[in-house]
Amino acid sequence: MFQGLTFEPFRLPPEAESLREEVRVFLAEALDPSDQPNSDFNAGESATFSKKLGERGWIGMTWPEAYGGGGRSFLERYVVTEELLAAGAPVGRHWIADRQSGPLLLKFGTEAQRQEFLPRIISGECFFSIGMSEPDSGSDLASIRTSATKTDGGWLLNGSKIWTSFAHTNDYMVTLVRTEPPSENRHAGMSQLIVDLKNPAVKVTGIQNLAGDEDFNQVFFDDVFIPDDMLVGEPGNGWEQVISELGYERSGPERFLSAFRVIVEYAREVGTEASDEQAALLGRLVSHLVTLRRMSIAVAGMLEAGETPITEAALIKDLGNTYERLVPEIIRTAVDENTSRRFINTLNECILHAPSFTLRGGTREILKGVIARGLGLR
Amino acid sequence: MALNEQQVMIRDTLQRLLTDMCPPDVVDAAEQGTFPQELWQTLAETGLTLAGIAEAAGGSGGDLEDSLLVIREAAAFATPLPLAEHFMAAAMLADAGATCRTGPMTIARGEFKLNDDFLLQGSAADVAFARWADEIVLVAHQGYATKLCRVSSADIEVTPGASMAGEPRDQIRVDARLGADSVFEVAADAEDRLLLMGAALRGLMMAGAMESVLEMSVAYSMERTQFGRPISKFQAIQQQLATLAGEVAASTMAAHAIAAAYSELTALDIAIGKARIGEAVSACTDIAHQVHGAMGYTLEHSLNHRTRRLWDWRSEYGAERHWQQLVGRAFLDAGADHLWDGITRRV
Repeated sequence: MFQGLTFEPFRLPPEAESLREEVRVFLAEALDPSDQPNSDFNAGESATFSKKLGERGWIGMTWPEAYGGGGRSFLERYVVTEELLAAGAPVGRHWIADRQSGPLLLKFGTEAQRQEFLPRIISGECFFSIGMSEPDSGSDLASIRTSATKTDGGWLLNGSKIWTSFAHTNDYMVTLVRTEPPSENRHAGMSQLIVDLKNPAVKVTGIQNLAGDEDFNQVFFDDVFIPDDMLVGEPGNGWEQVISELGYERSGPERFLSAFRVIVEYAREVGTEASDEQAALLGRLVSHLVTLRRMSIAVAGMLEAGETPITEAALIKDLGNTYERLVPEIIRTAVDENTSRRFINTLNECILHAPSFTLRGGTREILKGVIARGLGLR
Repeated sequence: MALNEQQVMIRDTLQRLLTDMCPPDVVDAAEQGTFPQELWQTLAETGLTLAGIAEAAGGSGGDLEDSLLVIREAAAFATPLPLAEHFMAAAMLADAGATCRTGPMTIARGEFKLNDDFLLQGSAADVAFARWADEIVLVAHQGYATKLCRVSSADIEVTPGASMAGEPRDQIRVDARLGADSVFEVAADAEDRLLLMGAALRGLMMAGAMESVLEMSVAYSMERTQFGRPISKFQAIQQQLATLAGEVAASTMAAHAIAAAYSELTALDIAIGKARIGEAVSACTDIAHQVHGAMGYTLEHSLNHRTRRLWDWRSEYGAERHWQQLVGRAFLDAGADHLWDGITRRV
């Protein structure tokens, strides 16, 4: 079998499984019953919920206790994450900080940065956005033009970032910039700076998506001063840092659970009176979901063992995203016209958000390229 | 699959043996009607046909996983032998306290009745490799009792038939008196167990064959040149192979879960596995044939040995729909609000 296609079956250990019930009990109290649950990780956000989750110790779970982190394993975090998503909890605000900004600082940040930001992220009170894409730089991230030129005590930032979810309300944005002009080595000369989004010099304009959400933004910098102590890692090391951020985190439960609540409402809608076809449809969707989850847990096991399963992670995201997009499309063919409002609302919300599933965090086309490389074709 | 030392040895032995003794022309010859006698004999002599069956029952000992490994690896070579059915028959006989012989056995699933004088009557369709079997093992009803019967080929009337892959799938009729020592009392769910075993093994076989198809497709794309370069350099080909790899990876994962569920015959996990793997066949064979172009569509090229078998196997022992329904009903019965909990219990 090809290297990169090895999914060793893995079981979540008992200490991870034991968290499951705790999270369910927490959610029974912490979730607002009037909210429509949505298992798309980007769909719901609530600073209140994030704070409650932080107080419970479930943000920054795997980070060192020295900073207030939980010192727990990837696998324990995995269980908490999947329980939150399956229940449709509003995890949007703290999602980026927890999943990538914090780990970035742990890996590449200064001690001062860790002391400054990590405890506040952990308590669910400090939120980060991602500053990578630009209007002319999406999949081709190395083509970014936002620049930072050295000045006394810091950097002057010029340019613009786009698709910066929640930048209008979050606190900071880890921003990929050019600190050297482009050269033959496309990946050289980039750095990451932490931008304070509350700085009045930083201009944020909202962008609505077709689902009517305004969590997208464009952020503009016109000679914005960023102090030296907001540089993450070494100047010029930006590309390696970004790859580390994007890389193997692709395989988590958020990559196949986005449409889960539609399946739940479908099951509720057809119930035990379901026809054979309707039952088979649910069985088909479950057979995919169970298999994807097993693959994802296998990769979580590899991550816990310190491996970097790049191809496997890309595979799971590609398979998972394809599945997520398919779910509402096939469910709608299996129901008649007399479905409940609740079902229709859940279904339509998913349909409106579905195009984003195969765009965010690595497009389908890019992922297939990564997999092709893993097969030795590139 | 994280194989232990014994299993690594089994796999390596098997791969060497099959590379040597089960090349495409042996598979073709089988389709033309030639039973691969030498191959069967060699496999039987190495104990690979009865791995996981206790020595006391005539097997070669070892773990259940050993047999599952053999069946799956052999499928990757499109081995035209009733390895799955032989193993199922051996396991049923061993459970009933009987001893298996080394000649090929197969399983028949149909309607059979046994009277008080051990007269067995009945028929079954699509019996895998019936015409080459020394013995057929089947389940018959005797009044309200369920009996496992081993029937000698001499007592079986065979009407030949073929699967899409050109493997024997024969009609059988039986109207013969059996010896008392050929009939065994079994539990009422014996037929259900056979269905689950067959489905599980077909799942493993499909996963093995699809892994082979992926390897062949990648290799072909790197050898075949057009427009001055290997076709693997074209994005259209790369993207399709990446999709194929995804389906194969999912099938491999589902096969692991089937193997883990096999000893208890956990219906839900076998159902999930057969449904998921069976569903992967469509995309897998579609892409493999697309990448292989016209060459791969010929009878002469060996891709068809795998793809035709995949098209057969996905429909045997319950097609996807049968198993999807089983899974769906189970989850619907538990209720929508328990759906997630049910998912988390499928480890």
